[in-house]
Amino acid sequence: MIHLQQIEKVYRTDTVETQALNGINLTVEKGEFLSIMGPSGCGKSTLLNIMGLLDAPSGGELSIAGSDTRQLRDRQLAQFRNQRIGFIFQSYHLINDLRVLDNVELPLLYRKSTAKERRGLASDALGKVGLGNRMKHFPSQLSGGQKQRVAIARAIVGKPSIILADEPTGNLDSAMGNEVMEILLRLNKEDGTTIVMVTHDEQMARKTHRLVRLFDGAQVQ
Amino acid sequence: MLQHLLTLIWNKKRQHFLLFLELFVSFLVLFAVFTMLVFNYDNFRTPRGFEYQRILTVTASLRLPAGTPNDSATLLSEQLKRSLKSMSGVAEVSYVGSNSPYMMSSMSDQITYNNISAQPESYQADDDYARTVQATMVRGRWYSRFDAASGRRPVVINEALAEKFFGTGDPLGKVLPGDRQIIGVVKNMKDKGDYAEISPGIFHRTDSGFHDKFLVKLTAGAAPSAESQIYKTIMRHLPGSSTEIEKLEDKRVARNRLALIPVILMLVISGFLVLNVALGIYGVVWYSVNKRRSEIGLRKAVGATAGGITRQILGEVLVLTTLPLLLGIILAVQFPVLRLFDLPAATYMIAILLAAAFLYLLVTLCALYPGRQAAKIYPAVALHED
Repeated sequence: MIHLQQIEKVYRTDTVETQALNGINLTVEKGEFLSIMGPSGCGKSTLLNIMGLLDAPSGGELSIAGSDTRQLRDRQLAQFRNQRIGFIFQSYHLINDLRVLDNVELPLLYRKSTAKERRGLASDALGKVGLGNRMKHFPSQLSGGQKQRVAIARAIVGKPSIILADEPTGNLDSAMGNEVMEILLRLNKEDGTTIVMVTHDEQMARKTHRLVRLFDGAQVQ
Repeated sequence: MLQHLLTLIWNKKRQHFLLFLELFVSFLVLFAVFTMLVFNYDNFRTPRGFEYQRILTVTASLRLPAGTPNDSATLLSEQLKRSLKSMSGVAEVSYVGSNSPYMMSSMSDQITYNNISAQPESYQADDDYARTVQATMVRGRWYSRFDAASGRRPVVINEALAEKFFGTGDPLGKVLPGDRQIIGVVKNMKDKGDYAEISPGIFHRTDSGFHDKFLVKLTAGAAPSAESQIYKTIMRHLPGSSTEIEKLEDKRVARNRLALIPVILMLVISGFLVLNVALGIYGVVWYSVNKRRSEIGLRKAVGATAGGITRQILGEVLVLTTLPLLLGIILAVQFPVLRLFDLPAATYMIAILLAAAFLYLLVTLCALYPGRQAAKIYPAVALHED
């Protein structure tokens, strides 16, 4: 599903050159739930951004579902992200000025769909995460766990085959974290969604199919 | 997407209130400025209806001795006119009233005819006036010395007054209050300046007596010394008079300049306002883009292209402009509906369209650069900033 070969990422400023990723080789199979762990600054989020086409590698090859992503232009990259990838972030990134339902509809605005279709799909997604009764609320009226469930609904509303989650339980207490993890596990099991999750939580990582550890930009396990 | 933008703007209505108010007031000011400009431009485009080139306007003030008989005064004026007309380089001479072309003076008359009231500009002019200024008759004729024997006072009215009183009917022969019989209709003359509005007018034949104001039309090949020759002739006939000779062309320029002063003032004031509005909009959009970096990053992550982000920022500003604009248009439309200031409805409508187009152009220009900067936001960075 996702194939990374000799991925390098170097950040350069006028005076400093930082090697964030160094020769990463990784294959994520279709339907796999993979977790990535490592200390802060080891390149976990950079790797996830590269997998999500939010950042371009300095070297190496990345192919997703058989497509060589180096050939894709801005418009194609945007379309690829919109249709194949769902993102979940540690700090949710909900738009506070939009109601829950409008937040969930967001990815659908960037593809051809009617308002009625968008409403229907967003309602279904919210139902899946157990927030069918919070559609008219604003994010500020929700708890952290509920916000992350809204973010999950937004990630799955477009029915992507891949979900990339960057520390989805990092801002939540253990009960809420477990709730969110249960939803991700269910999505992986029931819908066959491929999930790559960055986490600091060993307990959460153990619930996934496979664990990859990074250290100083290199894969150590 | 439009529905999404409307939702976003509606949910931020409190933050947008001041900008909304600023755009609303700006539209009203722009509407006033464009109304003034359209009104002046329309007047400028209207045919002048007479010629001003090679015409001198002469004022020869003379205090006649007390008890001078009217016939003597009339004779004095007639002799002067004959002398001037016989001069080489002089084509026509015409006695006029104080409100002759481009003079600052105005004289109106209240006339009611068939229950229609009008307040036309009331002119005094002699038999040679139409020839002197090359006025064009639309119907009938200009008065002549033969009308002196007529039982009624002959008058010539302009097209504007003819339309006001008679519509498409024939005004010739009709008698206005004061026993004034209409013998001709003259084409409208823009004698208050190129930017002045055409207003109803009525021309009365000059009475007997001394006339101190007249127009002198020079021939095409008149010598440059003609003006001084005229002065000498006047002084010979009216020794001791205070004589002033001006070119009608210069009077026209002065009158036009006077009409443009309020327009220029208004343009300067509104220019400052527009500059403030532009800076305000630019600042608000710039601030908004910086405050919404993570939102923009998110939108790019979920499928927005760089162009899509720019379009969204522009779209938001345009939708935000449309709301106060609609409110402003509702208010502006009341001007033609309620016939305020008595301007043509078309003037207001064109001004509304121009003000709206100008405001849209202004906000588009102000939002373009911040919109492009927003498109350059790197999602991987923006999403990890907070």
